[in-house]
Amino acid sequence: MVPRSALIRRKTLLRGRIAFPAGRLGLGALLTTLLLPVAGCKSVVPAKPLGTPVSIHSPLGLPPVPIPPENPPTVQTIALGRRLFYDQRLSKDNTLACASCHNPKFYFTDGLQFSKGVGGEVGVRNAPTLLNVAYQPFQFWDGRALNLEDQAASPIANPIEMNQSHDVSVSKLRRDPVYRAMFRDAFGTEDVTLKRIENALASFERTLLSGNSAFDRFQYGHDSNALTPQQVRGLAIFINPVKGNCAACHTINAQYALFTDGKFHNLGEGVGDDGTSFKDTGRYHQTGIETDRGAFKTPTLRNVARTAPYMHDGSLGTLKAVVDFYAGGGNSNPNLDKEIKSIHLSGQDREDLVSFLNSLTGDLPANVGPPPGKE
Amino acid sequence: MASTLRRLSFLVVSSAVLSTGCSRKAEQPQTAPASQPAPPVYHVDSATAGSIHGIVRYQGKVPPKKPIDLSEDPACVEAHHGKAYDESILVGRGGALANAFVYVSKGLEGKNFATPAEAVVIDQKGCWFHPHVLGVQVNQTVDIINSDPVTHNIHPMAATNRAWNHSQGPGDPPMHRKFTKPEVMIPVKCNIHDWMHAYIGVLDHPYFAVSAEDGTFTIPNLPPGTYTLTIWHEKLGTQDQQITISPQQSAAADFTYKGK
Ligand code: HEC
Ligand code: HEC
Repeated sequence: MVPRSALIRRKTLLRGRIAFPAGRLGLGALLTTLLLPVAGCKSVVPAKPLGTPVSIHSPLGLPPVPIPPENPPTVQTIALGRRLFYDQRLSKDNTLACASCHNPKFYFTDGLQFSKGVGGEVGVRNAPTLLNVAYQPFQFWDGRALNLEDQAASPIANPIEMNQSHDVSVSKLRRDPVYRAMFRDAFGTEDVTLKRIENALASFERTLLSGNSAFDRFQYGHDSNALTPQQVRGLAIFINPVKGNCAACHTINAQYALFTDGKFHNLGEGVGDDGTSFKDTGRYHQTGIETDRGAFKTPTLRNVARTAPYMHDGSLGTLKAVVDFYAGGGNSNPNLDKEIKSIHLSGQDREDLVSFLNSLTGDLPANVGPPPGKE
Repeated sequence: MASTLRRLSFLVVSSAVLSTGCSRKAEQPQTAPASQPAPPVYHVDSATAGSIHGIVRYQGKVPPKKPIDLSEDPACVEAHHGKAYDESILVGRGGALANAFVYVSKGLEGKNFATPAEAVVIDQKGCWFHPHVLGVQVNQTVDIINSDPVTHNIHPMAATNRAWNHSQGPGDPPMHRKFTKPEVMIPVKCNIHDWMHAYIGVLDHPYFAVSAEDGTFTIPNLPPGTYTLTIWHEKLGTQDQQITISPQQSAAADFTYKGK
């Protein structure tokens, strides 16, 4: 895992600095490009979408979707991204699609503790939902990708996920005339490039929005009957800084609620028997900062009743187990977040909180299942 | 000339830096615990070893049994099977006092005893710690298990050792923990169920016991000598006794706590 993410980080940095769509090139080629800037720039296939622009509508409770200026969503890129998302050809043995681990039936998770990659390889982290990922400032539990475009290439080549080199993915797709037409419609030419794949997948993922839950109708839709009395009590505990204190990290704003601050916190989940070491060091993996050891990105709580098991290591099976974990103050370790220490929950509070978490299940967006003809 | 001097002084400075660098490096292994040769383990001669036995009693009016309300967590009510009572003063027939921790507090200085290989177990069962009072040796493994259908969060509130707390859900594997320094006693609570209490005595020798329901205790295999025997009780405090053991002697040491 170390070399893989180190590589991704380097790539992100380089890309950020030189603003050069180098996704298709390997790292070696990229370095050469840096040394020989003129020679390296010879044939860059544009990855800017050309089709019919789409304005993505956010459901009740969610803010407008942030759109990167270089990849505005279009009808064509979204359709292409959707097809790619459900296409098993992106994996080495043609058995896995993105949707295998981010399955719409399980609210875009896989329902497993750890995901199974190609050849039954088991990962070390729980697959997060992709619903509302468009709002996240960081992708992955350790934040090693900054945006959906950067993120998309990673699972394809990851040996414990789809395990297929990007060159092979590109040439497999190039052989399919349907794809050639779709790439032409989306980007102007038939060229299949990794950058175009990334842009299309990212635009499709930006349509995976889920809001209008009972909570949203209560909080933002002026429907005071949308929550049960117990859920209303649970909401009060959720935002009370000396009871649940949950909203300190799972944020609720005046106009909308993402239920995540997009930041990294240490709850002690996964700390070893010595009380200090972490099997999975989380954010530390990326930053090398000692106090980040054992910190993970705050996940959204939207649809949480449908996305068990929980936490980065999928170690908690039920919402009751999660709430009890917080009620006990998490697991002590040198970097435990101080917000955890303000949590005080009675037995009744814990039941009310679980009931409230069950009110966060939202509508699933339309047109995000397997593309027509692929069901 | 001047430049040679400068170069020379540069050399001196840099070699000084180098040598302090080296000496620091040389010091490091000394501070690492692994490099300290462990003192030899003391062997008790079974031909001369004696023992201490005794009874702990409570004199006075026995406080009424105080029921404990587990209804905060309905799953606990179910798991506990029957009524729960406060067990901080457990008095049996004839004033026998259970759950007192008796240990040798002086007289073993300079002797180094082996760490037992077998673990001591704390079970969380019926939303209750079993046992309520226990002793372990320094660095002996303590296995913490959760037999309940609910999550517990065990919290040894150590002062000398590292204090910690850790969540353990239903069906989670045992935790294997150690206490690295002697400490009598470490109060233990569950962060979720505030009625759950236990006490752990950590000693650097094996000469300790917890009084049974009939108030009795035995501390076997003790080298002959003069010792201070200390008793600790969570509500009734501590007491000391001097005791001399001659070879192969089984010496008696009873304790009495006076109630109100
Ligand atoms: C083998 C299972 C598997 C496959 C296949 C897979 N993913 Fe994932 N995905 C995961 C896991 C596990 C994580 C969390 C990994 C981590 O944080 O280190 C993840 C994380 C993500 C995230 C970050 C979400 C967040 O909240 O941080 C995105 C976005 C994502 N995947 C999109 C995709 C796309 C697009 C594809 C197809 C190209 C894909 N995934 C294929 C298992 C998979
Ligand atoms: C200090 C910030 C913080 C606070 C306060 C906090 N959380 Fe979390 N929450 C997180 C982080 C970080 C994770 C992921 C931790 C991990 O996987 O190691 C998480 C995970 C979760 C999950 C699992 C979600 C999933 O998809 O895996 C749930 C449910 C949850 N929190 C609910 C709550 C509730 C209820 C409260 C209040 C009692 C609360 N949180 C308080 C930061 C926080």
